[in-house]
Amino acid sequence: MLNRRAFLTQTALVAGTLGAPPLLRGAWAADGALTVGAPLPMSGAFAANGKFAALGAAFAAEEAGTVLGRKVVARDLDTEGKPATAARRVQEALAEGTRLFAGGILSSEALVMGKEVTNGGGVFFTTAGADEITGTECNRGTFRWSVPTHGAIAQTVRPLIEQMPQAKRWYTITPQYVFGEGLLGAAKAVFQEKGIEHVGNSYHALAEKEFSGYLTNAIAAKPDVLLILSFGSQSSDTLRQAVSFGLKKRMTIVLAWASGLEQFEALGPDLCEGIYFGAQYWHGIDSPMNKAFVAKVREKAKFSPNYSFAGSYLLTKLLLDGAAKAGSAEGPAVAKVLEGMTYAGLTGEEEIRAADHQVIKNYYLLKGKAKSAMADKDDFVDIVSSGKSFLSPEAAGCKMA
Amino acid sequence: MTRLLERPLVHFALAVVTVLVLPLVLRSGTLASEILIFGLAAAACNLLLGYTGLLSFGQGIFFGLGSYAAGLLLLRADLPAAAMLPLVALVGAGTATAVGWLSIRRQGVYFVMLTLAFSQLFYFLAYTSSDLTGGDNGLLNIPRPRIGERVLGGPWAYYAYVAVLFLVLFALLQRVALSTFGRTLLAIRDNEARASAIGFPVRAFKVAAFAISGAVTALAGALHAMLIGVAPLSNIEYHTSETLLIMTIIGGTANLFASVLGAAFYLIAGDLLSAIWPRWLLLLGALLVAIALFMQRGLWGLIERAAAAMTRSPAPEAARPADAAVTEEGRP
Repeated sequence: MLNRRAFLTQTALVAGTLGAPPLLRGAWAADGALTVGAPLPMSGAFAANGKFAALGAAFAAEEAGTVLGRKVVARDLDTEGKPATAARRVQEALAEGTRLFAGGILSSEALVMGKEVTNGGGVFFTTAGADEITGTECNRGTFRWSVPTHGAIAQTVRPLIEQMPQAKRWYTITPQYVFGEGLLGAAKAVFQEKGIEHVGNSYHALAEKEFSGYLTNAIAAKPDVLLILSFGSQSSDTLRQAVSFGLKKRMTIVLAWASGLEQFEALGPDLCEGIYFGAQYWHGIDSPMNKAFVAKVREKAKFSPNYSFAGSYLLTKLLLDGAAKAGSAEGPAVAKVLEGMTYAGLTGEEEIRAADHQVIKNYYLLKGKAKSAMADKDDFVDIVSSGKSFLSPEAAGCKMA
Repeated sequence: MTRLLERPLVHFALAVVTVLVLPLVLRSGTLASEILIFGLAAAACNLLLGYTGLLSFGQGIFFGLGSYAAGLLLLRADLPAAAMLPLVALVGAGTATAVGWLSIRRQGVYFVMLTLAFSQLFYFLAYTSSDLTGGDNGLLNIPRPRIGERVLGGPWAYYAYVAVLFLVLFALLQRVALSTFGRTLLAIRDNEARASAIGFPVRAFKVAAFAISGAVTALAGALHAMLIGVAPLSNIEYHTSETLLIMTIIGGTANLFASVLGAAFYLIAGDLLSAIWPRWLLLLGALLVAIALFMQRGLWGLIERAAAAMTRSPAPEAARPADAAVTEEGRP
């Protein structure tokens, strides 16, 4: 039997849970502050990326200090890695007056949030990979920093074909979803152009964890190069299993879309050695802004910035720079300033293309180095080459409304 | 007071109070709409779990299909929302009839396995049919409904639209639960062999329960797609079925309003806890363990026990829909 005291305690707990959101929301909405929303997967399978991205946004906000006479605050919005939750979070933030948004690691989330933010009068800057973001689904309020699939393949597959003219047989392992299809389509186009024999492809599902069957198929096809088109933990799992199958000695392995430092730390130097990686960002990039940024992060945060951290930092910084230049934090005004803007970025000279809101920046081909050759604990790779490859806005399918 | 809590009219009154109170206690109209939408889907899940005794992992199928059907009918067939919603209900009912008809051929763990298998089947169908569903990117650009010339773009304007539909569908579900059909479902749940021996076509009743539940769940999926402007792949995932079951169990299977309570608790707790601690799902797991061990009637059971303590009358004993008790006391 429940006594009155226990009843009052339990009722208070339930009432507290149900009644607290408005109180907390009130606490979050700091008066007069210029808030940059950071919609990121802070819980769920991509929480590790979300955590670093949130730190990057906070770092940029702290660095900016005051913009338009208002203290800058970066506010995490946990998307839980789900498009539905992501849409709800940005709708709520828009209703509370936030107009600048930097985040959206996952493509499905970013596509939804771009629409919501634009419809709500805000501006959204993302690092998500889906081609559609600055392609068929481009819109006035959405901007993207990361290189889409065409550029990623052009800057990994093309230089390797030129470096290894004897490697004529390539095998691909592809995640069977829209992003994977984009990478595979771009790779096939390069193979055809360069006279490469595509000896086979294995599709795997979104939640696949076991890749040995696909690797056996790859071995049977006797390729010179294994091109892994998966990303995140699936690409790491594929690489681990490929190395344990002894494929590193039999063929060249290329991972076209790597996450950079966070992935190399998880894999370790022994696994990374001799593997080629395509990457959006590496802390060893030789550009004035990157050198200053890395030094500052190492001094203040005591670690080397990874892709999630650096990308989120730059997106937040660009939005704040745009707001300062526009003299307004309203979405359309900031978007107008960002369109066509050129600046000294983390990867060197970068330009925000006005026609589709795609940032024109370098993509990098990296090669894992031996543990004995590492200068410090983060020195996993050498930069082999870099370059800018982008489809025209028309070819990407962008029709800006 | 405990008797009062068993009255269906009180449950409907509580649903009305919920609709009126949410805008006062929540700042987010989107969260408030989501509570009503998932409350509706959880109530439909309860019709199977609490009233028919069927633990189905297939509710996500109907929710996801409702989202996709809504998107396709609004975008490709250019239908208004008022014409789209009945068609979505038909899609939900039709699919649920097929899934139910095949699944109820087995009982117990095999029934659960079949619903799980269907859940995966429909997920992969949606995943691979990217021309139709948008694949992992989801079906984008789903518009909000219009009333005359006015688009219900604002969060609270759309909440009002959802609230009206929620109350209508909740009342319909209650009507089903209180009807002779609903009583028969309870009889089947309590003793299927006896119900069959009496002469009830047990399979037909179960399939009908599936169809009604599927129709309402699909409508909830359609409302959700219009809320967030997209039909995401995650709506048809196994995880959605799991979430709906968790909401139903947290609320308690005692009556349909308990499911609304479960949905509200799950969404508000998730909203709060995720802002405080990224591993908040661990707490949810602990809560489920606590409910399974100590609160088998869920949050509604807690309210009943509290009411019993206040009036010093005995709390209801068995984990059964409260509506059943009313019938035994003289309802036709």
